[in-house]
Amino acid sequence: MDQQLFVALARAAGLDKALAEYPDDVRAAAEQSLNNAGSVKVPTDPAAEPWPPMRAGVGL
Amino acid sequence: MTEAHWLTAVEASRAFAAKTLSPVELMTALLKRIEVLDPKLNAFIRLDADAAMDAARTAETEIRAGRIRGPLHGVPVGIKDIIDVAGLPTTCHSKILLDNVAASDSVVVRKLRQAGAIVIGKLSTHEFAIGGPSFDLPFPPARNPWNPDHHPGGSSSGSGSGVCAGLFPVALGTDTGGSVRNPASACGIVGLKPTYGLVSRRGVFPLSFTLDHVGPLTRTVADNAIMLDAIAGHDPEDPGSVPTQSRHFGRLLDRGVRGLRIGFIRHFHEVDMPAHPEVTAHLEDVARVLQAEGAEIHTVTLPSLNEFSGINRVILCSEAWSIHAPWLRSRPGDYGQLARRRLLPGAFMMAGDYVGAQRRRLELIAAVEDALRDYDVLLCASSMDPASRLDDAETTARTYPRQARTPFNVTGHPALAMMAGLASNGLPVSAQIVGRYFDDATVLRVAAAYERAAGWVKRRPPIG
Repeated sequence: MDQQLFVALARAAGLDKALAEYPDDVRAAAEQSLNNAGSVKVPTDPAAEPWPPMRAGVGL
Repeated sequence: MTEAHWLTAVEASRAFAAKTLSPVELMTALLKRIEVLDPKLNAFIRLDADAAMDAARTAETEIRAGRIRGPLHGVPVGIKDIIDVAGLPTTCHSKILLDNVAASDSVVVRKLRQAGAIVIGKLSTHEFAIGGPSFDLPFPPARNPWNPDHHPGGSSSGSGSGVCAGLFPVALGTDTGGSVRNPASACGIVGLKPTYGLVSRRGVFPLSFTLDHVGPLTRTVADNAIMLDAIAGHDPEDPGSVPTQSRHFGRLLDRGVRGLRIGFIRHFHEVDMPAHPEVTAHLEDVARVLQAEGAEIHTVTLPSLNEFSGINRVILCSEAWSIHAPWLRSRPGDYGQLARRRLLPGAFMMAGDYVGAQRRRLELIAAVEDALRDYDVLLCASSMDPASRLDDAETTARTYPRQARTPFNVTGHPALAMMAGLASNGLPVSAQIVGRYFDDATVLRVAAAYERAAGWVKRRPPIG
């Protein structure tokens, strides 16, 4: 991941302190996040809903 | 006669009723064993010996008076240290929560106490049930009784290690990506992740709301069933809890497997993540044993293990970030490195990644449901390798994700891991049995049939 991009994303997430103290951990996390997200085959059906479904009045 | 520390909960309960053993005698024997062995195993974060002995005296009085609450009355139970026990710290094995004293019992602990079980102490875990095994935390990692140089699995490490070593007969763990079943696999015991929603999670520190489960670790399938009987039940204050009539989980234990149809998911360990050859051989033995007992075994195909694992990671990281973000921003140095590295990826997940994973999740659930329309249970690998050495971080990092447990956190089906043999290095290998929603009783039925036929339950770790 591009250095400037990962630093900007980390700052946007409020990770300034982690970035200063553990830059390698933050970079590794950013790269892992990209890999993880890329492994998901998102459904092509636009109507495929996420799990768990919204159920009005249940679980309250 | 079986030594007291090797008695199962069922056997201890019978001995109490027959007055050949008392809860105080059992507790005394276990506390002596803990004193000798726990310095080598680190199963405990906090032993609550005085309170446990007081509770044993109370149980003894009640049982002698004929007021027997059930098969867990007077039986010691260990509690993973992300589960609240009133008056004791819930540290999550982390510097972050060293002083976090629980104001009240979690629902599962309350239910165990109502059943007469005795909390003996809080048990080691991976930090926040995700960062371990680690040596940069306030407490050392637990060790494997079959060989203390090796990992006992995690994240319910102390639960697995302590049950396996005879420090207590039963324990509670939690399972978000396999953390009950991994220590059960590594330690050669029985670990059940119940159906999602069957057991309350209230009072348990969350890791990932839609993947978290609480489950029992035991040395026998029968003990697992009585633990589930005690902790299952609808909790209206847990949003994931489901009103269900599922009860009496041990009612089918003696029925055998004749006529059951079992789908064997071979591609998980043969193609998706090729297992250690000894694991593969033992899995084939499990199938042969169940077939010899009268089950029909057929090969079934599900989506790839890598896809299940990827979805589990996206969901877990996203949900865990929403819990840990404040501390990761303000106190990153108070986490161990492994937890920090495993929790930080959530900061970089996009909302669309999370929703996309949850949408694909529904399709994966449907695929497993389809398979379970044709089969009573599914059989597959649990861990692809025997446990790694604790001092070999590289092998641990390589082998730890090589497992087939996460699919059933993604789908919520009940899944049980149990011993399926010993590898040539003397460490346990395991198998996993998966069932239909709220049919945890059939999972336990198949496990009991295998346990009787295979006989691995008689093997003890060489730890004295």
